[in-house]
Amino acid sequence: MKKLLSKDKWLYALHTVSHPADGFYEIRHRDRGSVAVALIFVILFSLVWSVNRISAGFIVNDIDPRDVNSLTELITVLLFFFLICVSNWSITCLMDGKGRLKDIVIAVGYSTLPATVGILIGTVVSRFVSEDEAAFYTMICGVGIAYTLFMMLVGIMTVHNFTLGKTLITLFLTVVALLLIIFIVLLIVDLVNQFYSFLHSIYQELLFRT
Amino acid sequence: MRKTFRSKRILGVLILSFMASFSATAVHAEEDVPYDTYNYNYWEDVIKTPAAYTPAGSIGGTDLGTTAFKEPRDFCISEDGEIYVADTGNNRIVVLDGSLRNVNRIIDSFTAEGIEDHFSAPYGVCVSENGELFVADSNNARVVVLTPGGEYKRVVKEPKSEILEDDFAFIPLKVTVDYADRIYVISKGAFEGILVFESDGTFSGYFGTIEVKISVWEKFWRRFASKEERSNTQLYIPTEFTGIDVDADGFIYASNIDSEGTQAVRRLNPQGKDVIQKGENGNVGGDIRYGNYGDYSGPSEIVDVVYRGKGMYSTLDRKRGRVFTYDKEGNLLYIFGGVGLQDGTFQTPVAIEQIGEEVLILDAGRNVIMKFRETNYGNLINEAVGLRFDGDEKQAIGKWQEVLRLDENNELANNGIGKAYLTAGDNEKAMHYFELGMNKEYYSIAFKRYRNMILAENLGWILTGAMVLIVAGFVFKKIKNRKKGIEREEGLL
Repeated sequence: MKKLLSKDKWLYALHTVSHPADGFYEIRHRDRGSVAVALIFVILFSLVWSVNRISAGFIVNDIDPRDVNSLTELITVLLFFFLICVSNWSITCLMDGKGRLKDIVIAVGYSTLPATVGILIGTVVSRFVSEDEAAFYTMICGVGIAYTLFMMLVGIMTVHNFTLGKTLITLFLTVVALLLIIFIVLLIVDLVNQFYSFLHSIYQELLFRT
Repeated sequence: MRKTFRSKRILGVLILSFMASFSATAVHAEEDVPYDTYNYNYWEDVIKTPAAYTPAGSIGGTDLGTTAFKEPRDFCISEDGEIYVADTGNNRIVVLDGSLRNVNRIIDSFTAEGIEDHFSAPYGVCVSENGELFVADSNNARVVVLTPGGEYKRVVKEPKSEILEDDFAFIPLKVTVDYADRIYVISKGAFEGILVFESDGTFSGYFGTIEVKISVWEKFWRRFASKEERSNTQLYIPTEFTGIDVDADGFIYASNIDSEGTQAVRRLNPQGKDVIQKGENGNVGGDIRYGNYGDYSGPSEIVDVVYRGKGMYSTLDRKRGRVFTYDKEGNLLYIFGGVGLQDGTFQTPVAIEQIGEEVLILDAGRNVIMKFRETNYGNLINEAVGLRFDGDEKQAIGKWQEVLRLDENNELANNGIGKAYLTAGDNEKAMHYFELGMNKEYYSIAFKRYRNMILAENLGWILTGAMVLIVAGFVFKKIKNRKKGIEREEGLL
């Protein structure tokens, strides 16, 4: 853990943001990334997301603060993150991707940093803008999110050693796989539920008979 | 130990019973109404409010010393305060005095050109500003014009025009008259709009046609449908108008049953164009939240509208028996009424009118007129909205503050107070109230002024701070350079 969170790893994460293509290449081939740092970035993203929803300025904020629960949002973001990683991994495995699950986790995790920073700055700015200046807020957040998407694309591409076209195809398939996984999980949950209620009714029947 | 436990329990029971009795007395007597009173907030959630109107009894035919009403369909109030009830099932017009205690007269026949004539299912009734009585005599396909006393004046017959279809049947249901004595008639099955007649009875055309909305999806499917399939699907016909009223400026308020539940009332200018303001959420269709299954599901079915003065109007929903009141800008002010069998609820509400401070609802199921009296809460809102309509926002602030005491979630009241503070120049307070009232537009104005004020007040500090920073930066750089220089010299040495 100490090694995972060394100063070098943190600085390298920042280096990856400024030099995505080189950065992700070294992460794949020289093990310069860190899963722990990536996870911390994802958690940070989720926290900033909740902060934005709760305390962005009134003019840009359309959310009922009573609806925001940062814990459920954290769980949702983490679940979604792992779903993306796992479905991308399962697709790229079949399509000659060179990346390991670890690399995918790092690539996606590091990519969230620009969005986190953008939304954080946007949230601060939003408290000082009026309605006609709200475009600044949208722009700042938009730039952050756009850079995140760009980094993710480059990250997946570099880590797997894909061409751009192949990356786009795998990303599309990743979405399909994601939906499939959700579908199967729901199916299993429903099955388990039915099985449980079946056992429960047998138990009750026995209880009433005796 | 045990003793203290018991005494604690007794104390607890005492406190509980005290609280119960306290809360029982805290409920105001006038809030005890047999229906839900609520409104919708910014997020379109249902928010309970105090009652704006409470039931104040009902009046049937037998209470007035005549035979019971039979499916009365419409009523109207004349300038001098008399109430004309179209007693459709009994083929007569009953005229009551303003107190709703006495029958002034009953009109069931008239003498037209020497021949005695009767009504057949008189469905709608209206009294013009000149005091002429208009009766939509539905089964006789005519609108009869009488003096208030019941003397025959003239008759508006079935219109003849090229724009009417050949199989057009004139079945007048509702009628109203504007200040220029133009006659507006809603005819059964006339989907093209309201029929307008000049004062002498000549037909001048349709008015206020409701446009049919076809979604892109429906258009898409129609493209692929065969001719047979196309003829089998339902026709895209606009909805009919259901109720009609006219305001002081001669604008026509017309209600219709909207299947989308978004716009059930139109305000038509003399050209027949809809000029209604739809408010923040773009909805003047009654209930915003409703169930999709069961007896009382689906959007509201608005059957009548009444202009209440000062830009306010109320619509009547027959599905859930609600009365929705809006202001000029289309903000929903309050909701009251409900369907049921209890006293103060409706079975088949068909028409709504206002007399003085009271709202009257005609119920064709119970065959009675129901009275609703405004509460303190309703009165405060009515007066505040009235003051705002007159442009007297400063006067309104006191009323809005009273409203907030009764209903602290009221967004309109918060906005009203915010606007008053904004004009008074207290931007910080204005911002606070606009945030509570979820009014981003005005909040933004107040915020801009507040921000400028803060900047102007602290400009000296900000500029000094900036200067200090710049100078400090210079000095720091100099020192660093000198140090570097020294180091370099040392290195050279």
